[in-house]
Amino acid sequence: MTDSQSEAAVDGTDHNALADYAASVAEAVGASSWTADHGTVRLMVARSDWVSAVQAAASTGLRFFSFLSAIDWANEVEVGEGIAGDSVDERYEMLCRLSSTANADAVHIITSVSKDDASIDTLTGIFAGAAWHEREAAEMFGIDFVGNTNLKKLYLPDAFEGHPLRKNYPLLAREIKPWPGTVDVEDKPSTTNVEAEAGASE
Amino acid sequence: MTAADQGGTVHISDAAVSVELDTPGMTLNIGPQHPSTHGVLRLVARVDGERVSSLEPVIGYMHRGYEKLVEVRNYAQIITLINRIDWTAGYANEVPFVVAVERLTDIEAPERAQYIRVILTEMTRVSAHLLFLSSFPLELGASTPLMYAVRDREYVLELIEGVTGGRFHPNFNRVGGVKPVAGGGSTTKKQSQDLPAGFIAATNAMVERLRGTCITFDDLVSGNEVFLARTKGVGFITAEQVHQYGISGPNARASGVGFDVRKHENYLPYDKFDFVIPTETDGDCYARYAVRLAEIRESLNIIEQAVNDLPGGPLRSKVPRILKVPAGEIYVRGENPKGEMGYYIVSEGGRIPYRVKIRTASYSNLAVLPELMDGALMPDLVAILGSLDFVLGDVDR
Repeated sequence: MTDSQSEAAVDGTDHNALADYAASVAEAVGASSWTADHGTVRLMVARSDWVSAVQAAASTGLRFFSFLSAIDWANEVEVGEGIAGDSVDERYEMLCRLSSTANADAVHIITSVSKDDASIDTLTGIFAGAAWHEREAAEMFGIDFVGNTNLKKLYLPDAFEGHPLRKNYPLLAREIKPWPGTVDVEDKPSTTNVEAEAGASE
Repeated sequence: MTAADQGGTVHISDAAVSVELDTPGMTLNIGPQHPSTHGVLRLVARVDGERVSSLEPVIGYMHRGYEKLVEVRNYAQIITLINRIDWTAGYANEVPFVVAVERLTDIEAPERAQYIRVILTEMTRVSAHLLFLSSFPLELGASTPLMYAVRDREYVLELIEGVTGGRFHPNFNRVGGVKPVAGGGSTTKKQSQDLPAGFIAATNAMVERLRGTCITFDDLVSGNEVFLARTKGVGFITAEQVHQYGISGPNARASGVGFDVRKHENYLPYDKFDFVIPTETDGDCYARYAVRLAEIRESLNIIEQAVNDLPGGPLRSKVPRILKVPAGEIYVRGENPKGEMGYYIVSEGGRIPYRVKIRTASYSNLAVLPELMDGALMPDLVAILGSLDFVLGDVDR
């Protein structure tokens, strides 16, 4: 991903204040880079610093554990549209959102997990609530959380094979029958029209 | 040794004998189909007599895989899908998603559309909380409140249906605004595309009526001795647990954590309205009930202000027919009846998102249950489950 530590549009929030905030938390957690686009603060940290970075962010007042999840960056995708550019560095991106309950402050702490060694330290020592989120990420992406002793399947049946949210996992329903809605998303001759019904009091 | 062990016949007068029976380590399975589980939730409890020594929720019976399904649908199609996540608050599920897409594409919804979003979100909150007010006392043995709550919930649902055409799954939001209103007549006549005739008067009447409902509940439930005995001092959630598990919404505000997305984020123009965030500090089942009842009152205040200040203008901004969302990552959250709901959208510039992480409130709110039940009494399970007010569709996604 790009390191856009420069200007970017932030909707509805004071960009400079948000960027200053992102920079200050980035320094506190030892992030290698950060972005603050669209009102969403993202701090990139090394995998070895994952637990300590989350701990450091929590001690800045971001004590509310919002969620933990992953993104599968892959060049070949079985479902949907792939990446925009030529190629992407294939990896899993771990994402942990922490926020404050006193104000709107919130950050996403992000690290990369290689596909060859998909494992990362558990956050359950800091946030008890991370246990379910890690179980979910483990079954959906096949990521191992070292130190989490209960990684049995949360949503999926025990005998389920594969990791459904990986980009190389096909969506069976689409394999059997192409989505009829595909027609609707084909480009029309003109792509600049607004929907006729849309503008109410034009 | 009991009479039964000695081969004698157990008589009712020997009832004291059974109390001395050694019963540790008994496993009790509850659900997945059980009236108190609000859907298909299975609980595996280890009990010693009436006391629960450990409890494990087993979820996933409602798992529909939304996060995978949205990876093969365009943004307009996703709106249809996501209002089924928490089916007691279908409308509220749509709002953070469309706001996130609008921010990525730099489209702003007209002010009138934003006000209509506020009105419908708050109506959804009232209807969801009325459902809680009907089911919670019922599970504790009081069936009358259900009649009042369900009857008066219809007045809200009728208004939602009048505007959106749907009682539970409105699919009413569009990127850039809201849909031309159902029941508004032909969509070719500009003035007939707006809210149905008499909507404002009917809404004001509903607000008055539901204020009366809140008083009825105060009279009927809030001071009821049995209700108090079952809910006061039961199922404590500490402020520390709120942070540890990410508990949000009324459950957090009943534990003294006064966080409400409506006051801290500008996803809808809540700063235009005068309202307070009700909080309690006890953190027990009763506090969670009290917070929700107070929230209905505040939501009615917001609805009243919004319909009477409703600005004119279009319902929707100009949006390209084929919506391509610029590459970027964004998280937008909203205050749903159950708590903080948010969407983390990763766009690669196409018509279909690359990844959407859906953060639902009930999932985090339910995760704390094993801690609450540790050492609790079995009959309190029903009170605690009911007071957490989760929806399994919101847990399983």
